[in-house]
Amino acid sequence: MDQVSLSLGQGEVLAVIGENGAGKSTLMKILAGVQTADSGDIRMDGRNCHFESTREAMDHGIVLIHQELNLCDNLNIGQNIFLGREPRTAGIINRREINRRSSEYLKMVGLDVAPTTVVGSLTIGKQQMVEIAKALSVNARVLIMDEPTSSLSSKESDALFRLIGQLRDQGVSIIYISHRLSEVKRLADRVVVLRDGQNAGELQGEQIQHDAMVQCMVGRDVSQFYSRQRHPTGDVVFKADKIRTFEWPQHELSFEIRAGEIVGLAGLVGAGRTELLQSLFGITPLIAGECWLEGKRVLLNSPSEAIDHGICLVPEDRKQHGLIVDFSVVNNIGLPNLKPNQRGFGFSNFAKQRHSSIEMCDLLDIKTPTIRQLVKFLSGGNQQKVVIGKWLAQDPKILLLDEPTRGIDIGAKEQIYKLMEQLASESMAILFASSEMEEILGLADRVIVLHEGHVSGVLDHQQLSEQAVMQLATGKAVDTKPKA
Amino acid sequence: MSENLTGLVKIIGISILLVVLWAFLAYQIPENFLKPNNIENLLRRTALFGILGIGVSFVIISSGIDLSIGSLVCFTACLLALFLSVSYNPYVSTDVLEIKAAEKKLVVRRDGNFEVGQSIRYYGGRRARNAMLTITAINPTEYQGRPASEILVDQALTRDDTADASNRSVGKIAAMYPISQVSDNHLDLPFQRLGPRDRVWFVHPERGLKEKTVASVAPSMQSKDLTEVKFTEPLDGIDASYIAIPLARKQRMSVPLAIISVLLIALGLGMIHGILITKLKQQPFVVTLCGLLIYRGLSRWLSNDQTLGFGNEFEGSLGLLATGRLVLWDSGTSSFGIPYSFFFLILLTIAAIIFLNFTIWGRYILALGRNEEAARYSGVNTGRMTILAYVLCAVLAGFGGILFALDANSIAPSSFGNFFELYAIAAAVLGGCSLRGGEGSIIGVVVGTALMQTLYNSIVLLKIPDELEYAIIGAVILIGVTSDEVIRMIANRFKRD
Repeated sequence: MDQVSLSLGQGEVLAVIGENGAGKSTLMKILAGVQTADSGDIRMDGRNCHFESTREAMDHGIVLIHQELNLCDNLNIGQNIFLGREPRTAGIINRREINRRSSEYLKMVGLDVAPTTVVGSLTIGKQQMVEIAKALSVNARVLIMDEPTSSLSSKESDALFRLIGQLRDQGVSIIYISHRLSEVKRLADRVVVLRDGQNAGELQGEQIQHDAMVQCMVGRDVSQFYSRQRHPTGDVVFKADKIRTFEWPQHELSFEIRAGEIVGLAGLVGAGRTELLQSLFGITPLIAGECWLEGKRVLLNSPSEAIDHGICLVPEDRKQHGLIVDFSVVNNIGLPNLKPNQRGFGFSNFAKQRHSSIEMCDLLDIKTPTIRQLVKFLSGGNQQKVVIGKWLAQDPKILLLDEPTRGIDIGAKEQIYKLMEQLASESMAILFASSEMEEILGLADRVIVLHEGHVSGVLDHQQLSEQAVMQLATGKAVDTKPKA
Repeated sequence: MSENLTGLVKIIGISILLVVLWAFLAYQIPENFLKPNNIENLLRRTALFGILGIGVSFVIISSGIDLSIGSLVCFTACLLALFLSVSYNPYVSTDVLEIKAAEKKLVVRRDGNFEVGQSIRYYGGRRARNAMLTITAINPTEYQGRPASEILVDQALTRDDTADASNRSVGKIAAMYPISQVSDNHLDLPFQRLGPRDRVWFVHPERGLKEKTVASVAPSMQSKDLTEVKFTEPLDGIDASYIAIPLARKQRMSVPLAIISVLLIALGLGMIHGILITKLKQQPFVVTLCGLLIYRGLSRWLSNDQTLGFGNEFEGSLGLLATGRLVLWDSGTSSFGIPYSFFFLILLTIAAIIFLNFTIWGRYILALGRNEEAARYSGVNTGRMTILAYVLCAVLAGFGGILFALDANSIAPSSFGNFFELYAIAAAVLGGCSLRGGEGSIIGVVVGTALMQTLYNSIVLLKIPDELEYAIIGAVILIGVTSDEVIRMIANRFKRD
């Protein structure tokens, strides 16, 4: 990061946006005392501050709420809120005091649960509220939120936005980092745009418009969302017949995917999209029903079986499931291809592995100094391309993608959209789950909408609209017949 | 930054440490350290522990742990000793069921091939005595409802005795044969069934008993009823007044069968570890800790807690695996050779390097050690690969157990192999394996083992008190594993200033 300036008034919601790698996270880490700045200074109320630790920042009233929440699942809400600062009488933790004061903070954030509830039993949205309550308990004056809605349902997000509004009215300043420009537009009083570790612009009030923000971020004119060319689709490649997943055993799901078709899987968080994709990939095998691939019945009891049938998954959690971040690009792309590429007797074919990695880097425009670079040093978008690359080297029949553009910058997003379109035109069947309406609307030939584990509707291209998707996703019936 | 760079730095670091230690010892105490005997010993110990270290490194790389190695070494060593246990029993003998001293009568099981006029020896009794007898009559009879034989002898035994429920016999009788043509190391015997490696007891009423091992047998030139028996050593002091009892050598299993059985049992145990860990979701630490206790207990039970060994049965054959060496030079007074076990280590090292780095399974184990979920999402059968790691570890522990057993030739089931798992794990960690998994190199493990053994050796040679052994080894491992982190931190500080 290189010479970034930022100011924040009391009771102001400041959104910080920018592509991945623009320096948002670094900036926030410095503000919250996770890292220290090489030069420059931080002033609060005109006084110079220097934070060596998060504790010091917290003492000044600056609290960072991470994208991945930092709560102890095994402790209850009260214990989490007062972790490390437990009120004590004669050295013994005063539980009653914890619970009394926790209740107050929970009331402030509008969370109606007992402070003795174990955090692990709460939904992600409620856990986030607990994080905010925890921040309030240290009299936070500046609250930094990093992608707070990335794992929330829209209802939970709405609750969060209301809370942010309340906090602002109480004089708390909020720094809000998000890729979701619609949220930024709705919330922010002011927007600071970062690009390549530098200030790239600032928008205020009426200026906060979608296109303006995007233009600041990428430095080029992106006047509209991605929209793709439509191709005629081929025969049915994959058919799921009355399948039941482990998580939603009460619902039967049936659907088809055609060659060259991009099918969107829409639904609210927790509607069972990830579970369905994981079941099709054999992670948690289906408990009933039949899957047919090109007219043949297939069993998908493990990922290796699914892969053998040409079904590949780009998982939602890139760092945990998609990649081995301490492995190099070539070894990540190569991992599933070791077996098909082997020389015989189990010996790896390094030349072939290298060759296919280089091919994938070219094809997918993976920006890496060498294929020996460790994946953890790549940006989110390039990491995602590596995940896709390891499957393309296999030439799959069906590509499953779970939130393919989660947490990656706009430039890389568009490349992934283009890629999906191209793969479809080469008659690969694609099923992707996404929480971003623009993706679902812009990319899919057909959309399967899930609501609490069952297919609440299938929309083909003509029927597709934001309203129709949202109605199905929230469980309201829409007058459409599933396409045969 | 490359994947293997940090690993390489670690290996270079520990190699330097090893060379420095060698140089120090060679300079400080050359007459002791550089003695051929000492170096051979060092190579042998490095080889034996290195085999265990390579085994456990697979498990550690898969982000598991195996604490059962030491007990498994003991268990497989005991099994080998039991499978190869050798006993010598008289060819013609039977159990005595009852003794009636006054009647000069013995009741025996009916399975002996005894004849009237035959000399027999009574032995192994609890109360009755009188070793040398001659049969005067044999009659069939019954003892406790089962057919038996009644043997009348020329002399009375000292007292009566009878078999009851707790002891199924009160001694044994064995046929004895006269010897003739005794010279240097061979004699004639009226008994045809002796073979090489059998033994013969020579019994004399006054001069007691001597035991000799048969080298070879051939028909005698004296008579077709006689066999000329050649012994492995001179028959000092034995003359025709001795009487011979031929003993049959019985080995419980053949050598190849015993080795294969031991390795298969180790393989099975490794598989059980792996299945418990992958299918029943048990923690590796707990599973193998239970293994540690179970195999130790089983070893003590199987052996009755008695020290086992092979005697000198396999000195020139199987024992060479552990004690043999390839002599490089021999000056008459001293000689130097490379122990065969060191060649095993070299072969195993090469095989393990190839497996880990050049085969898809090695890559799978590295991958699942780093991130098991991601490996599974990439289609790796992580369960099967984890089991493979534990199987490799257990089989190598079994192989190590065989070599340790042959090397020591004395297996005390309560202490044999104690702490070996910790030596192996320590060597792997010193050599750059991370207990977090996914990291490690075979060369590093071998160098780590060599360093540990050199340390042990230097403690002995430098006359540092024995009691400090564990403390010193522990301290060095701690320094070894923390040094690279410390160096990195210091380097970072300099960079920042």
